[in-house]
Amino acid sequence: MQTDTPAARARSLTKTYGRSSAEVHALRDVTLDIRRGEFTAIMGPSGSGKSTLMHIMAGLDAPTSGEAWLGAIEIGRMPDAQLTLVRRRRVGFVFQSFNLVPTLDVRGNLLLPFELDGRRPDIREQKFIDELIVSLGLSDRLTHRPHELSGGQQQRVAIARALATRPEVVFADEPTGNLDSKTGRDVLALLRDAATRHGQTIVMVTHDPVAASHADRVVVLGDGRIVADRPRSTAEEISAFMLSLEVTS
Amino acid sequence: MNRTRGHGASVLVAALGSAFGVALLQITGALSAVIQQDDVTGSSTTVAIMLRVLAFVFIVISVYVAAVVTANTFSTIVAGRVRSIALLRLLGSSARRERGRIAREGLAVGILGSLLGGVAGTAVAVATERIAVATGAIPDAGYTFAERVILVPVVGVVFTTWAASWVGSRRVTTVTPLEALGRSEELSREQTLARPGRNRTALVLAILGFVLLGAGVVLGLMHPAAILIGLVGGILSFSGIVLGADVVMPPVLRVAGRLSGRSAPARLAAENAVRHPQRSSRATIGLVIGVTLVTMFAVAMAGFETSIRVAQAQQPEVYQGVDPMLTATTAVFSVLVGFSGLIAAVGLVNNLVLSVLQRRRELGLLRALGFTVPQVRRMVLAESAQLTFSAVALGLVLGAFYGWAGAQSLLGSATEGIVIPGMPWLAVALIVLAGAAITAIASWAPARSAVRVSPIEALAVD
Repeated sequence: MQTDTPAARARSLTKTYGRSSAEVHALRDVTLDIRRGEFTAIMGPSGSGKSTLMHIMAGLDAPTSGEAWLGAIEIGRMPDAQLTLVRRRRVGFVFQSFNLVPTLDVRGNLLLPFELDGRRPDIREQKFIDELIVSLGLSDRLTHRPHELSGGQQQRVAIARALATRPEVVFADEPTGNLDSKTGRDVLALLRDAATRHGQTIVMVTHDPVAASHADRVVVLGDGRIVADRPRSTAEEISAFMLSLEVTS
Repeated sequence: MNRTRGHGASVLVAALGSAFGVALLQITGALSAVIQQDDVTGSSTTVAIMLRVLAFVFIVISVYVAAVVTANTFSTIVAGRVRSIALLRLLGSSARRERGRIAREGLAVGILGSLLGGVAGTAVAVATERIAVATGAIPDAGYTFAERVILVPVVGVVFTTWAASWVGSRRVTTVTPLEALGRSEELSREQTLARPGRNRTALVLAILGFVLLGAGVVLGLMHPAAILIGLVGGILSFSGIVLGADVVMPPVLRVAGRLSGRSAPARLAAENAVRHPQRSSRATIGLVIGVTLVTMFAVAMAGFETSIRVAQAQQPEVYQGVDPMLTATTAVFSVLVGFSGLIAAVGLVNNLVLSVLQRRRELGLLRALGFTVPQVRRMVLAESAQLTFSAVALGLVLGAFYGWAGAQSLLGSATEGIVIPGMPWLAVALIVLAGAAITAIASWAPARSAVRVSPIEALAVD
């Protein structure tokens, strides 16, 4: 794994839904590099294509044309079986609605990505997982089921699960969307910390300027195209910028 | 709106129940007519009544299993509709009204299924009688197939289906309007509905029943009439087990789950099968009833056969030609009793289909996290296997026990002493094969829809 290649790359990605008469262009020729170790926020109003972009870059959906690279492999045309292994081993997910497996306890959820591979974490991985459990404050929750946890706790378990395999990229889809603002800030700080301390590459889709202000970089989509690519900004700057987009469009 | 949408399985169950009842009554009616024709002893009325009583016993068993299956299907359907029910509650509809709406669907399902089944059952009976007459097996007694008694199963099935849908829709009363706003993750609410009173009744019935069964076995060493005590004991204890299915089945399901291995798909399947303990219990108890009854008859017949062999050795001339009769009786009884197993199997398949449909988001999550398509398929198969395995295993054990207890109470005085139950291995093998077939069939459709779930469904907010 070279550190100079981007963790993920989009090359002229387009995604079109529907037939020629009623075509919807979700993405129009999007090219983007996700730099290794960076926390990138992808913003944009609903229908801007930000979710579609994330789905394709995370190997959940196939592009109509263009290439999606994860590290040194192209995943845009990969058959489903291989793609599944890529998701299992090289991608982590954090969802808006937490999405833990309800029948497994916290430990079971954390170890699920390893068990899917039919293996146990090795000593180094186990040490990392133990660290995560402590730093995310989950030590006394390991035998709890998801429904016994608060939303914030569930999201912390989801983050721990996403980080546990040390994936190439962690994709987070509106991770604070279902949380109150205090809990939301804690979750964002955890993601921030994972990028700073462990050099974890993170891509977060959000429409919340406060959430985006925790990122190193803010990419803004509008109508299926990248309309802005800004370095770290304050929530005020991002809000002002998003508003100006609304006004001009 | 189409009222019977999503109720295909319930219509089928109602139709099977009604078809079975009608066909059985028509065929026994035709048989009685034949017997009446060359009645010399005047005993034909007694025979006709006996046939009717016997037919009704089998019909009651089938209709009972059908009702359990239907109640379960409705509760699963209600669980899947919680959000829309909550929304209607939010907009001002009462719980009573929502429950009534579902019960009306149940009534429609019952009427449709029962009428279809009545027609099908009569058609089967007519065909059977015509074939029997054509091949010369029975004389043409001019039976008209227009007897009023066939209305009993038809109307009965309509009402039991209606009642079952009412029982199954109990969850509606616990839906709060707030659930329309909450998260869509399915919570297990069924614990709160546990009924301690019912479990106590079940326990009392089971204990009393087993005591009577034991008494039957002991007294059977002295007199064959002990079978009557044993019969009451058997009915009571088995009712206790069926009534207490919510308590009895989950441990069995857990043991079966442990047997299916430690891989991720197997472990998740094991957890899925006990996620809604009551639902899984009710889905499997029908099959337990079927397997128990079939096994019981097979074991009891095997025991009966053993003592006949002893008698045959002593007085060969008296017991001549008894063998084919025994085999035929066993076969006919097994089929009649096994019919409830067929109805139960429909319920099991449907239960699995619905539970997979209601888990789309979770399946999407597993796919997003790296579950391969074969792993998803294996998980569904393991879940199905766990349900059927539990039902078949428990049914075999119970059936062997009841069959042995029955034979022992009846024949203990003749054979002098307790005998080890002779297992009819052919019947056991057939039951296990049928169980395997149900597993495969039950997992086929849900596995197909499960692997079609796209990982993106996990990300959808609603």
